[in-house]
Amino acid sequence: MANIFPRWSNLLPLKLLICAAVLGAGLTGGIWYYFTPKYTRVGYMPVQPVPFSHKIHVGQLGLDCRYCHSFVEVAAHSNIPNTQTCMNCHSQVQKENPKLKPVHDSWATGKPIDWVQIHKTPDYVYFNHSVHVNRGISCYSCHGPVNEMEVVYHREPLSMAWCLDCHRNPENHLRPPQEVFNLNWQPPAGTTQRNIGLELKDKWNVNPPENCAGCHR
Amino acid sequence: MKHIFQHPPEKLTGRKYWRSLGEFADTPEFNGWLEREFPAGAAEMKLDGVSRRNFLKLMGASTALAGFSLAACRHPKNLVPFTKSSEWTIPGKPLFYATSMPRRSGAMPLVVTTHDGRPTKIEGNPHHPAGKGATDGFAQASILDLYDPDRSRFFEEKGKHSDAKQFEAYLDNLIAEAGDGSGIAFLLEESNSQTRERLRKEIAKRFPQAKWAVYEPLGSDLSEAASAASFGPGIKAVPVFEKADIVLTLDCDFLAGEMTSLADVRAFADRRRVEKAGDKMNRLYTVENRYTVTGGAADHRLRLPASQIGLFALALAKELGVNVDGIATPEGKVDFSPEWVKEAAADLKSAHGRSLVLVGPRQPVAVQQLGAAINNALGSFGETLVGARIPVAPALTILDLAEAIKQKTVKTLFILGGNPVYNAPVNLGWATLQKSVPEVVRLSLWVDETSQHSRWQVPGAHYLETWNDGIAGEGSYTPVQPMILPLYDGWSELDILAKFAGLKKPSGAELVQETFRQRVKPSDFTAAWSKFLHDGFAAQRKESIALNYTGALPKDGFSAPAGPGNFEVVFPADSKMEDGRYNNNGWMLELPDPITKTTWDNTAWISPKTAKELEIGYIPHKSEHEVIELSVGDRKVQVPVFIAPGHADNSISLSLGWGRKVVGKLGQGTGVDAYSLRTIDSPYFALGAKITKLNKKVVIAHTQEHFSMEGRELVREATLAEFDAKPDFVKTMGGDSHVPPGPPSLYTHPELDSPNQWGMAIDLNTCIGCAACTVACQAENNTPVVGKEQVINGRSMHWMRNDRYFVSDSEYHEDLGEFPSDPQMVAQPMLCQHCENAPCETVCPVNATIHSNDGLNVMAYNRCIGTRYCANNCPFKVRRFNFFDYNQRPITPVKVPLLGEVNGLKLGPLAPKGMADTLKMQKNPNVTVRMRGVMEKCTFCVQRVQEARIAQKVKAGASDNVTIPPDVFTSACAQVCPTGAIVFGDVKNPESRVSKLKEQEKNYRLLEYLNVRTRVSYLARLRNPNPKMPDAKKSVAHGAAEPAHS
Repeated sequence: MANIFPRWSNLLPLKLLICAAVLGAGLTGGIWYYFTPKYTRVGYMPVQPVPFSHKIHVGQLGLDCRYCHSFVEVAAHSNIPNTQTCMNCHSQVQKENPKLKPVHDSWATGKPIDWVQIHKTPDYVYFNHSVHVNRGISCYSCHGPVNEMEVVYHREPLSMAWCLDCHRNPENHLRPPQEVFNLNWQPPAGTTQRNIGLELKDKWNVNPPENCAGCHR
Repeated sequence: MKHIFQHPPEKLTGRKYWRSLGEFADTPEFNGWLEREFPAGAAEMKLDGVSRRNFLKLMGASTALAGFSLAACRHPKNLVPFTKSSEWTIPGKPLFYATSMPRRSGAMPLVVTTHDGRPTKIEGNPHHPAGKGATDGFAQASILDLYDPDRSRFFEEKGKHSDAKQFEAYLDNLIAEAGDGSGIAFLLEESNSQTRERLRKEIAKRFPQAKWAVYEPLGSDLSEAASAASFGPGIKAVPVFEKADIVLTLDCDFLAGEMTSLADVRAFADRRRVEKAGDKMNRLYTVENRYTVTGGAADHRLRLPASQIGLFALALAKELGVNVDGIATPEGKVDFSPEWVKEAAADLKSAHGRSLVLVGPRQPVAVQQLGAAINNALGSFGETLVGARIPVAPALTILDLAEAIKQKTVKTLFILGGNPVYNAPVNLGWATLQKSVPEVVRLSLWVDETSQHSRWQVPGAHYLETWNDGIAGEGSYTPVQPMILPLYDGWSELDILAKFAGLKKPSGAELVQETFRQRVKPSDFTAAWSKFLHDGFAAQRKESIALNYTGALPKDGFSAPAGPGNFEVVFPADSKMEDGRYNNNGWMLELPDPITKTTWDNTAWISPKTAKELEIGYIPHKSEHEVIELSVGDRKVQVPVFIAPGHADNSISLSLGWGRKVVGKLGQGTGVDAYSLRTIDSPYFALGAKITKLNKKVVIAHTQEHFSMEGRELVREATLAEFDAKPDFVKTMGGDSHVPPGPPSLYTHPELDSPNQWGMAIDLNTCIGCAACTVACQAENNTPVVGKEQVINGRSMHWMRNDRYFVSDSEYHEDLGEFPSDPQMVAQPMLCQHCENAPCETVCPVNATIHSNDGLNVMAYNRCIGTRYCANNCPFKVRRFNFFDYNQRPITPVKVPLLGEVNGLKLGPLAPKGMADTLKMQKNPNVTVRMRGVMEKCTFCVQRVQEARIAQKVKAGASDNVTIPPDVFTSACAQVCPTGAIVFGDVKNPESRVSKLKEQEKNYRLLEYLNVRTRVSYLARLRNPNPKMPDAKKSVAHGAAEPAHS
């Protein structure tokens, strides 16, 4: 009886297997890299209705973060400033600048400005700003050098693993309380972040929650 | 020790649980889909613009969701700040307002939590003298009424849409032509609002002929008539439980708030807190026809038909030396032994001046008057009973008003609140009378039975939307202040009355301010007003009112006793529906009744003996109940029977407030209307009831089928004498003596290294089983309502349940269907016990339930994959699984082509999705709203724990002071508890209240022998029986005298 299958077909299962393995590995790798917050979130830089420059306001003019984000020390949310806050200065400064038209319109009509959200945690995460900034975690640790950003972008992945990195080793981020809002702060010469962090962690009894209930309720 | 869990039945009979809605069926298919959250009667469909807007909203939402399904695409979301800062508002922080809930028994002082302008949770006002921070289930659930999507939303004139402007024009015109007001009548609900009283006087000045009538189906008319006879008009007697050593109640459910405020309930409970051997506690005798929470708390309980209570009172009065010779006593056999009366009387007498007899407000005036005579003989006046002024002048009754309508002297009738078409005495024929009035203006929160026969339907404003005031239980002047503008531009009754008083419709607090102004010095006004609103009450001058007992005794008025062949039917207030006003409140509908554990229905309660005589059977586990036809005279209803242990023989209890005909979606088809049997002459109980078996069975949704504890001694109790003799009796029960000292665990557990360790102690001695904790938990934790069918399937979602056990010497024979007829009752709140060696944690394959370092057994919902292993392995059965998407899918029927009406949950993704916008507003923003396929359970209010923890860390700042001080916050269930039986706190801190309770000798943990090391512990129940009483042995026989077993 003649061979039904030609000789080359002997290798076919092996070839198929290798192809599937390569495809599978590629798919896994792809998802591993591309479907994580590190890829999907970091670098997100939406266009805002008003081209507000943190670089000018914070970096050059030296406004404190808390001038606009006024409740960050007392509330879970770091509030977006309302139009009134903008108008504290801009009723005098740059009155005619067309870039500020949405602000002036909002002030005139009472209709709020629709800012685009950049940093976002999932709905089931209950992040609290006040506890972090009051216990020596700087804005910088999560938001990066906002004082140098012309347009604010998403710098850190804000994924759970990333949160836990710090919750497990807070010494890498703890700093003296008066430096929390100083985005240019560097550990003084002769010491390191780790040394300062370890000292503060011990002194303040810093013990961030590592169990689910710390963030999920 | 093996526990075999009996799953509730899965199969259903062919009964339909949800009646179809006529109006609903009329609408086109897509409208049904679109409008499923909206009321049937509210003609939302008729307003094209509104429908379209909702349609677009829905479409917008689904488009947004479609965006989410594309992985890695970031859907932009906006953050919208205020334009201008608003005072006190910090985004994300709640604000608290002191207000009060207008109730028949007086204003209930509250503090309401608002998030971003939305009231989300109600708590008691801890600084107020009436209540001390407690609330009850009704107050907790009332917030859901505010957001009820079925509320009346539009002004309607003759069924057509109108608006506030046209209504106001109509009103102005009417007032201008009213003359002396002779054609005008008001029918209102009972209220002790002082502003309403003030406006009433103004109206009486302008329109002297206008009629002012008040009607409440469960009103205080009988008790006021009785106290007027005993003490003179305008004076009533209020109990002082602090001083009462012996309390005897006659058909008076005072622990459920009948006649009393929550401060009284707390005062009563305070007298039952026994800390150590030798402490004293009060003694409670209860005589009642059916089990109530008061009966459950009693030391001696006598089950007696309501119609025999009067005869009991006569016998008691005679024992106490009251001259009752002139009173006509009806003939008939009574069901109480003279010995019981004699010994109870002797006990009361021995505590002269420290005893108290309470007669329920539903008893005939004669019996209540006799109660005053008994109290007089006991020397209670001025001691355990003090005088109080009734803060509202008497008004016409509904009978007077009916007479005026018959005389055709009423041209325009204002029905402000209430629902007389549904709940007026049936032989009054109110619906016909109302139709004969030329013009009826109706103000109500819902379009209901009464609205249907009215010219004008005015949407009412909820008490959280309006300004008002009231007098709280102990007499202090209390504000009702709004938290939110009326959601549907509703009017309050004061708005309409103000127009008649010649004022403008108030835009703010001006009416209440004017009332308040009359109480303070003009110079103090601004400061006093701010303080009044801040504190939630005005400090009052202590006014003592003497009780001058007139000595008036009734000549007759005592009911003939019920007996074999002459059944009585009793119409009590429902523990959840009250008089029917909560009939569209999902939380209340699904709350298990404290006694029967029935949800979504009412049943006719009869005693096991009566059931046997009538050959009415009950099949346990299948929840099938026989349906009977209950008739009084020529009126009849068909109602399922509940065989209620502890019920009086020859008596039937059918609670009011169910079986509404025109009601929102949830209330449709629930229960049986007991008002249809209730007449003018027999408002609270009627004799001559007949029962006909129908050979029909229906399924009723219960949450607790078992009546025993399977011999595990979950509830431990003893008599006070036994406790004094052996203070550590709990240690010898439930196999506790067999627990090896500190057995090791096979598993590794996280370090419990937090400076605070959370725990709870529940005092069963003061727990009355009222289930306010269950509702508070539901309100706090966004627990969904699942519907009757799901409850039958055992899928109720309450994180906290209230187990009720009947206790008796004779065993409950399941097969024979025989119940002990006169058992005792105990209540046990049951919630996640937060075991340190939690069996649920070790079986979770995905680590979704783990232990926190402060001792909480926590759930990560987004990690849960729904294997339900944890629920299987939980010894306490406190875990709840979301079998369906209860929050997003309708639990009411949805019309489907070909299939007819199908429960929305069963349609899965085919059912319309989404929660009503108003219901979203109620949700606690600090708690995840769980979806399908997720396990959930009590979290010890982890959101409150974390909030306190964060607040402490913020306070600590650059210091190491991270330990939360004792008792700065508490869980929702502990906060609501009227008796203060539940205490939550830090068990690591010896100064905390919970630590002190756990140190008591009667503290025990459940299933200790399993070595699960629960964080919740219970304090044993103590009973204080009078050893001379004939039934004293009942308490002793199952107490500590029993040897320990394992």
